[in-house]
Order: sequence, then C-alpha cells, then structure tokens
Amino acid sequence: MPYHEFKCSRCIPERKQHAVFKGKGETITDALPLGYLNTIPGSISERGCAYCGAKHVIGTPMKDVIHLSHGPIGCTYDTWQTKRYISDNDNFQIKYTFATDMKEKHIVFGAEKQLKQCIVEAFKACPHIKRMSIYQTCASALIGDDIEAIAQEVMDEMPDVDIFVCNSPGFGGPSQSGGHHKINIAWINQKVGTVEPDLLSDYVINYVGEYNIQGDQEVMIDFFNRMGVQVLATFTGNGRYDDLRAMHKAHLNVLECARSAEYICNELRKRYGTPRLDIDGFGFEPLGSSLRKVGLFFGIEDRAQAIIDEETARWKPELDWYKARLTGRKVCLWPGGSKLWHWAHVIHDEMGMDVVSVYTKFGHQGDMEKGISRCEEGALAIDDPNELEGLEAMETLTPDIIFTGKRPGEVAKKIRVPYLNAHAYHNGPWKGWEGWVRFARDIYNAVYSPIHRLALLDIGKDEIPTDKGFETQRMLSDADLPDEVRNDPVLREYTGKYNCLKDLRKKTYPPFERNVLAEAV
Amino acid sequence: MSGSMQDKIAQLENYIMKKCLWQFHSRTWDRKRQNERILGMTRQLLLGEPVSTETPEERCYWVDAVTMAEAFKVRCPWLADMSREEIAGLMDGLYERIDFLTVTGSLNQELNDQHY
Ligand code: SF4
Repeated sequence: MPYHEFKCSRCIPERKQHAVFKGKGETITDALPLGYLNTIPGSISERGCAYCGAKHVIGTPMKDVIHLSHGPIGCTYDTWQTKRYISDNDNFQIKYTFATDMKEKHIVFGAEKQLKQCIVEAFKACPHIKRMSIYQTCASALIGDDIEAIAQEVMDEMPDVDIFVCNSPGFGGPSQSGGHHKINIAWINQKVGTVEPDLLSDYVINYVGEYNIQGDQEVMIDFFNRMGVQVLATFTGNGRYDDLRAMHKAHLNVLECARSAEYICNELRKRYGTPRLDIDGFGFEPLGSSLRKVGLFFGIEDRAQAIIDEETARWKPELDWYKARLTGRKVCLWPGGSKLWHWAHVIHDEMGMDVVSVYTKFGHQGDMEKGISRCEEGALAIDDPNELEGLEAMETLTPDIIFTGKRPGEVAKKIRVPYLNAHAYHNGPWKGWEGWVRFARDIYNAVYSPIHRLALLDIGKDEIPTDKGFETQRMLSDADLPDEVRNDPVLREYTGKYNCLKDLRKKTYPPFERNVLAEAV
Repeated sequence: MSGSMQDKIAQLENYIMKKCLWQFHSRTWDRKRQNERILGMTRQLLLGEPVSTETPEERCYWVDAVTMAEAFKVRCPWLADMSREEIAGLMDGLYERIDFLTVTGSLNQELNDQHY
C-alpha cells in the first residue's frame, strides 16, 4: 500500500504521508495516512475550526436552545445554516443565530458586560425558550472572559433558565474534531446527571452521534418506537436540552457517529456503566443488523426482524432499480469524517458503485482504518486534502460523482463532476430503508442529469450537435441496460412522497411496556 | 471443508473488517478489551459453550458476538464440518490476527495517547 505523492504537493513533502493507495492484498498495517494533525503550512485545507466543530456540528442541533456565540459576529453568521439539521419544533435552532457581536473596544476593555446583556436580551426576545448554550470563540478565549461566571450570575437572577458553557475556541485543536471532543466532555461534566427523567419503557437508550440531517433522527426514532424502545435523549439532532441532561439513566448508548461522539459514550461507560454499541444506520443490511443488535440487547429481536422484513419488502425493488443503473459508476467518497466508513462498503454492496477514493477532512487515523478496511482495493485514501489535490485526484481517477461538502463540491462542478452534499444531503433523509432509496435516487439524478452532458461542451471550441434533441435521464441511464433489466416488472423508481417526514411526525405509537421485566423476575 | 486454516481465518477477518465496528475503538487498552471479550464470546458461542450475559457490559459484547457467530455460520458453511478442536484453533488464529491488525501491527499513532 504505497504512500501517494500528489504532483501539486511536491513542494509540501510532508503531504506524502497523508495519502495512500489501497493495494492488492494489503491491509491497514502496511500503510496508513497520518491524521488529526495540524494542517501543514502552505496546504489550503478544507477544515473548519474547533469552535465550528463544537457549535455547528454538535451544539446547535439541540432544538429548544438559544445558541449564543461569544465573539465577533462573523464566527456565527458566516457559518449559519450551513447544515440542515432540522427539528420538529419549527427549526428554532437553525432559524435564528445569536452572537454577542464583540468589537475592538471589547477586546480592550473586556466583553463580560456585553455578554450578560446579550444573554438577558436573547431570553427576553424568545420568552418560550429557557435554555441556552454559550460558545467561546478565539476572541473571547484570548481576552479571558469568564463565561461560566456570567452564566451563573444570570442563572441566579433568572431561576427558570439553564445555561451550558462550551469553551472550545477556534484554535482548540487541528480541526473541528477538537471541538467535538471538547463539547462532549463539557456536556457530561456540566449537565449529565442534573435531571432525573421519566423512564417509560423497560428498554431505554440514548441515540448518540446523530444530528437529524434532513430528518435522519426522526426516521430512526420511528424504528425504535415501533420496537417499544424509548429513546431518552438524542445527542444531539432534534434533541432536547433537558433530555440530554438525563443521559445517565439510559440502559444502552447506541452510537452512530463515533468520530464526533464516542467521547461522551466512553465517559458514560466509565462513570455510569452504560455500555456503548457502535452501529451503522445507513444501508439496508447494516441498518437491519444494527436494529437487530439493539433488539438482541433487550431480548426483543423479533420486533427488529419484523421491521426489517416489512421495510425490505417495501423498498428493495426500488433500491434495485437504481442499483441496476448505478452499478460500476465510480465515486469519490469525500465526506468530513464518519461517512467515509459508514458508506464505503455499503454503496458498493447495495448500489454497485465503485469507491475509487475515500478522504476525510477532520477524521483521525482510526477513521481511516475503518474506511480503508471497508473500501475496495485500488482506492486512494487521503487525509485533509487541499483543493489542488482534490482536483488532481478527480482528473486522474475520473469519478462519475463525488460525495462531499459544499466547498469541494463547487470545485468539482467546475471540472464537470457532479457532486452530492455528503454533510447536508440533497433530498434526504438518507437514513432508513426509504432514506437509502432517496439517496440512490439523488445519486442517479446527479450522475445522469443531462445538464452535465451539456456542460461538458465548450461552446468556444466544441462542435455543438444540432441533429440531436435533448437527452433525458432515462435515455442516458438505460442506454446499455439489457432489455430484461430495463423492462423488469418488479423493479421500480422511488414511489415515496416528496416530504416523507410529514406523516412520520403525525404518527402515534402504543404506550411503552414498563416493568414487564421486573414482574417476570 | 475447503481451503487452509489461513484461508478460513482470512474469510472471517474479511467479514469483521468490512462489517463490524467494535474492533476500532480508539485506544490500545480499549481495542484489546473489545477483541478479547467479543471474539472470546464468539468462540464460546461457536463451541456451544455457555456465555454469561448477566451485566449490561457483557450483554453488549454478546450482542456483537452473537451477530458475528450467526453471520459466520451463514457465510462459511464449512464451519459445520469442523470439529470443536478445529473451531477452537480457528478462533485462536482469528483473535491473534485481529489483535495484529488493530493493535500490535496498527500504524495508528493515537492508540497509545494518554488522553482519551
Ligand atoms: S477560527 Fe476563531 S475567529 Fe475564526 S470562526 Fe473559528 S472561532 Fe471564530
């Protein structure tokens, strides 16, 4: 598994240790990219800062909370609404963004007074919200404002409010990952154990490392509800502040994104003895196996199996319609962290796509170990790539599509490579059986969009064909398909609704079972 | 029964590295514990020995072990033709191999970081 040197990065020799080709018969013990290191000077990274990782990835998905940045307005405003972590309370947490608007005078004279004013003003402006998270930024960290003291002062004066303080300034780590760590630890230190919850079921879990991107969490909660499993708290997508204070009372922590949230699971295991179960929520087979594991833990695996059977029967013909048309298409799987391993094997197994490259912006070497193990031989694994490396990789690997963030995605478009937003999605949710079909549909729509054919032509130099009409997606995707597949009576395109969450939010469930176990003993 | 012991271990290893996540906790001590407990329980299950699932911790290990034992049986029909001694040897070899891939041979520089 040789390390790979990008031509464009020859002037930054350290970069060679950050890219590796997965060779035939080789394993992660032959070569592994370096990871979670400071970005090398001269390499224009696509990473975010540690404040961003704490606030915009983990903190802000909490839905009933005023999220206040203590710093210059740009820290919060310029990153506002870059993620689609929706919620079922009218998206309060993404509709509004709050900052203390620090200016030069505050740097000179301190900004604690300003902070207190802002806290009080924000609570007054949103009288129905009684919870707040305050995020330190570089500026407020450097001048040493005591945010905890101010928060405590306000809590003493306004007994009905509760405030969480997250000290994770932008420089608190090589990337957003430093912020994930800091906010995990801050939450368990400050807040877990401060609320005693109502346990409604014999089977109680925390669902951890799930951020409700376009409704993923709501899809998963539906499965857990159908199994009679009470989700005490979701860390943090669509999660309630007070539920998250009660995390210590769950029987099991079900961990989805280990990259961003393993820390709190490890601490809950150490401090409260709650075991940690790592799962995959994407793809038919991995999701089914994950639900079954949760079922096995509580001895109710038959309930998981019933869901697996029902959902597979409903959605498999649709997934297979897309699989027939996506097989052999090449993809660069370039997300931020955990999706490189959540998706690497399953888009190959269940959609037939070939993963020609995996990369991570802020992952650690452990994420690369998982991702490289799961992808096929020949894939190029890159840690913290710069823009030129991304371009060079696309030019040499010629992918049909890339799954990545907005910044590299727009770069890809310039060289006519379609992209899907791996962080915020296109037409999600992408979790659940239906969600996985929606993902396949988004990939299909991107790969076969006729616009990309048109965009490939340069009216400055190419001859523009005038004898052909506009090509449709089906004309492009079905051109080489055998007749029996094209006309297969079982396979069909996605038949779900435009908004698949609407009905889910209206759904009711039978009451949970409580004390069945205790009575049985 | 088909293939050498090494081939058989490779098939099981392939399943674990592609489908499982439990072997990739973030520190050496953590990975060692995971490997020992989960592969140990899988071994007991394949040998038909009793497995203790008294504590939540044990039950959580058992969940991964039982899922894996079932998958091994489905994917590797040759397991049914193996004697108990052979299965024990197979699982010992697998344990050694997974320990190598994830701990002793791992190039992950964070594994021995003092901070969690
Ligand atoms: S690096 Fe510092 S100044 Fe820049 S956005 Fe992050 S917290 Fe704000």
